[in-house]
Amino acid sequence: MLPRYRRSLLISLAFLGGLAALDLILFPAGQVGVILLSGLYQGMLFFLVAAGLSIVFGLLDVLNMAQGSFFMLGAYLGFAVYGALPEGTPVTWRFLAALVAATVGGGLLGALVERSLIRPLYARPIFQIVLTLGLATVANEIVRAIYGPAGLIPITPPAALDTTISVLGGRFETYRLFIIGMGATLMALTLLLLHRTRLGIIIRAGVEDREMVEALGVPIGRVFTLTFALGCAIAALGGITAAPYIGAYPAMGDAFLLNAIIVVVLGGMSSFEGTAVASILVGLARASAEQVSLEYLGSPLLATVSILLIMILVLLVRPSGLFGSETS
Amino acid sequence: MSGPMADSRRRGLWSPGALLAGLALLAAPFLVAGFLGEGATFRMAAAAMICAEGYTPFVGAALGTWLLLGMAVLGARRVAGANGPLTALRNHGARLWILYLLLITPFLLAWATDSSACIRGKAFFWQSVFIETFILAILAASYNLMFGFSGVLSFGHAAFFGLGAYGVGLLMKHAGMDLVPAMVITIVASAVLGLMVSGIALRVHGLYFAIFTLAMAEILHLLAANRIFVDLTGAEDGFTFAVPDWINAASNRMTFYYLSLGLLILTFAVIYRLIYSPSGRVLAAVRDNEQRAQMLGFNTFTYKTLAIVLAGALGTMAGILRGLLNKGASPNVLGVGFTVDPLLMTIIGGTGTFDGPIVGAFLLRLAEQLLRDTVVSLGPWQVNIGERWALLLGVLFIASVLIFPKGIIGSLRFRSKLSASREDETM
Amino acid sequence: MSALLEVQGLHTYIGQYHILQGVDLTVPEGSVTVLLGRNGAGKTTTLRSILGLWKPQRGRIRFDGRDIQGLQTHAIARLGIGYVPEHRAIFRQLTVEENLKVAERSKGDLQARQAFLFKLFPDLQKQYHWPAGQLSGGQQQMLAIARALVPENRLLLIDEPSEGLAPVIIEQLMEALRSLSASTTVLLVEQNFRVASLLAERYTIIEDGRSVHQGRMEDLLREQDLIQRYLGAA
Repeated sequence: MLPRYRRSLLISLAFLGGLAALDLILFPAGQVGVILLSGLYQGMLFFLVAAGLSIVFGLLDVLNMAQGSFFMLGAYLGFAVYGALPEGTPVTWRFLAALVAATVGGGLLGALVERSLIRPLYARPIFQIVLTLGLATVANEIVRAIYGPAGLIPITPPAALDTTISVLGGRFETYRLFIIGMGATLMALTLLLLHRTRLGIIIRAGVEDREMVEALGVPIGRVFTLTFALGCAIAALGGITAAPYIGAYPAMGDAFLLNAIIVVVLGGMSSFEGTAVASILVGLARASAEQVSLEYLGSPLLATVSILLIMILVLLVRPSGLFGSETS
Repeated sequence: MSGPMADSRRRGLWSPGALLAGLALLAAPFLVAGFLGEGATFRMAAAAMICAEGYTPFVGAALGTWLLLGMAVLGARRVAGANGPLTALRNHGARLWILYLLLITPFLLAWATDSSACIRGKAFFWQSVFIETFILAILAASYNLMFGFSGVLSFGHAAFFGLGAYGVGLLMKHAGMDLVPAMVITIVASAVLGLMVSGIALRVHGLYFAIFTLAMAEILHLLAANRIFVDLTGAEDGFTFAVPDWINAASNRMTFYYLSLGLLILTFAVIYRLIYSPSGRVLAAVRDNEQRAQMLGFNTFTYKTLAIVLAGALGTMAGILRGLLNKGASPNVLGVGFTVDPLLMTIIGGTGTFDGPIVGAFLLRLAEQLLRDTVVSLGPWQVNIGERWALLLGVLFIASVLIFPKGIIGSLRFRSKLSASREDETM
Repeated sequence: MSALLEVQGLHTYIGQYHILQGVDLTVPEGSVTVLLGRNGAGKTTTLRSILGLWKPQRGRIRFDGRDIQGLQTHAIARLGIGYVPEHRAIFRQLTVEENLKVAERSKGDLQARQAFLFKLFPDLQKQYHWPAGQLSGGQQQMLAIARALVPENRLLLIDEPSEGLAPVIIEQLMEALRSLSASTTVLLVEQNFRVASLLAERYTIIEDGRSVHQGRMEDLLREQDLIQRYLGAA
């Protein structure tokens, strides 16, 4: 990793070590294993929403308050395709088709939204955010109108993902491991995309100075659309990945959006690396706080409150976040 | 805004003469109704009288007075350079008409629905719709003070609203306080919260500030909904509390109606006064270009603090009214809905205008009520407007952001400015 | 020499401010033309208007015989205009190589030009994989110029290349620019009058958003009162 990240990484590692030590003092080892895995699992889900949030914010300066809705739409789209396949299709195929359909559908929808709704407002950035807020309402209400306010019955994943394994004496569902794997894979793929492809280099250049990118002859509008679509596709894939475990319901994106915003702020609004690291940190912090809170208060209150407070603290002390550059 | 014009407007709204005229305006229908009402004494409050003797003479008198008012306004328009009440009439003519209409609305409702204004029935129900509208209008106007007039985007205005409902309720229920001290303490608490928030605005700007306010409101929401405090707050179900009889909306709804209308007028006046003051001009400069305002030597932070604290206090006042109206509070008053709704009303009505948020609140709340049971066929689908209200609002919202960024009032005003300038050219 | 770039009656507003109020400008093919004028006269705005980074309200911009006002910025750039903005505006988080890659208009542009660029700016070769933010000011300026040279541009718009650089570095830079000007047309904005006079063959003076004077540099050097009046320099 490049030297300028060294300090950020050290801080992150210290934070991680502190969390793990705290857990080890408070809980038996087997439980700590499960806490850490469950933190990782939550963190990966946050990442899947936060990834798009961060890239889109970095490049387009739009905080997409509808990112959670794409997460939710991905789940519903996947469920619909899963159910629509003809009788006798093997579960594995159904499941894969659901993943692909959600990703592609989310991406196309994202491209459409950027072209038709976001693009006319680049001169009025505050109204873009306000508009995405309205978009989130509309998406939730449309789903409510079609599928009703209650959630859908979760789809069945392939058998291997539908069981539990033993982790340091505690039980852990394989499906959550699948979610962790999916998150890690997407994290790696996105990093590769950003650093090894021309599109990625242009995106990173645009995060710094999109006007200059355009002045060099890059049709930045097309890059905006692609990037927005990419962010939405990742969120939609996240939604269908999560839904077999957490269910699909109209408000499912809202909680993840809040957590994703926390992640993005913590990582430094426009730093993708920061978002990746921060999502794991937030997941682990949340899982630990949840356990502590359940143990001592008998309620998961601290889980969200603690990370919200951490975020407020970061906003106050270092608004550029863990990985953001100071000069922005 | 040029100096002399702003000055005359201010004088128009605040001079003793204007206040007297306003009072006379308020009293006129009661007086007239009192004379017509066969020996009803002066002391008899209008509400009691209407309840006892029916509304017909009152409505007649009210309409008559309205006509007189209209003529007065028209007359005032012709007298240039007038001071005192005439100026108020000239500058606020349309507003005064609408205000007057709102003053007699309870009776008009009773007349139109042929039911009593004082006991359970159609008119009584519609009064509560109007009360809710006034509350939302206060909330939206307070939001607009931050967002529209000062350029501060907040995603956490619900925190102030919820603070109002919870504050007054908890103090009255658990601290055994009377209404007025409970209200005062709640407002003070809101001012403290406002100061904290603006302290943070010093360090955290723009979008980051919006995210901060979102987090703040969310924390309050989580605390209110949590089972740990169930004895205090009733957790997710919320709690109810007793209110003094005179303000109990179940029995004295008309009092509540006038109280909330009065507070809406107060809100309007406070914001109007602030925006047409020198501080208001600085706020406009801050909104347009904060750095430039700083370079001109203004401590922009002070002015932002003023706007945030005042907007917070007014939002809290709306929350107090909401708590008193429902005689209870539940976590949804702290939810994101009470941030999005005022934002929506502000944008649809007209960001950064005095009347926009209020018009937005009226339009949305009344339309929701009127269209509640309407079913529209759209091709193969039967759409129940009431059930799909949130969806319609969202679409309307997006459309107005895209197509009418100035909102209803802004677009109207823009058009009248255009025609005015055309008149100038022809002259 | 025919005119590669011709600007007529350019008017540009930024917000409510009427910045350019009639700029005429001719850049003959193969020449180096410099825009002179005091701070805030509208030189940078002229460059940005040509590229469409500010949209001019009125006026005509012809590049290579073709009207380009109103085109999108990237389309204008793709006609063969390279831009080196003031304050360098390199991508600090990207490596030198990535900075150059962004400027590619088709695959292989960079590869084809690499040797040429390295010869022009040997420093860039040494620090090819460094994040550009860690380069010195002079190297960053070289990178910014190199970036504009990745595609084969016919016109370079260079804004204040010598700003904030040490005299030694300025000499190096001038050397490079002079060798460039043999093959490329350049429209330069330069506050440093000595640098401008050594590089440019033609000049246009901009005052309060209007072009007030233009001609050949060697003629300008003889008119001390003109220099005094518009540029306040001798």
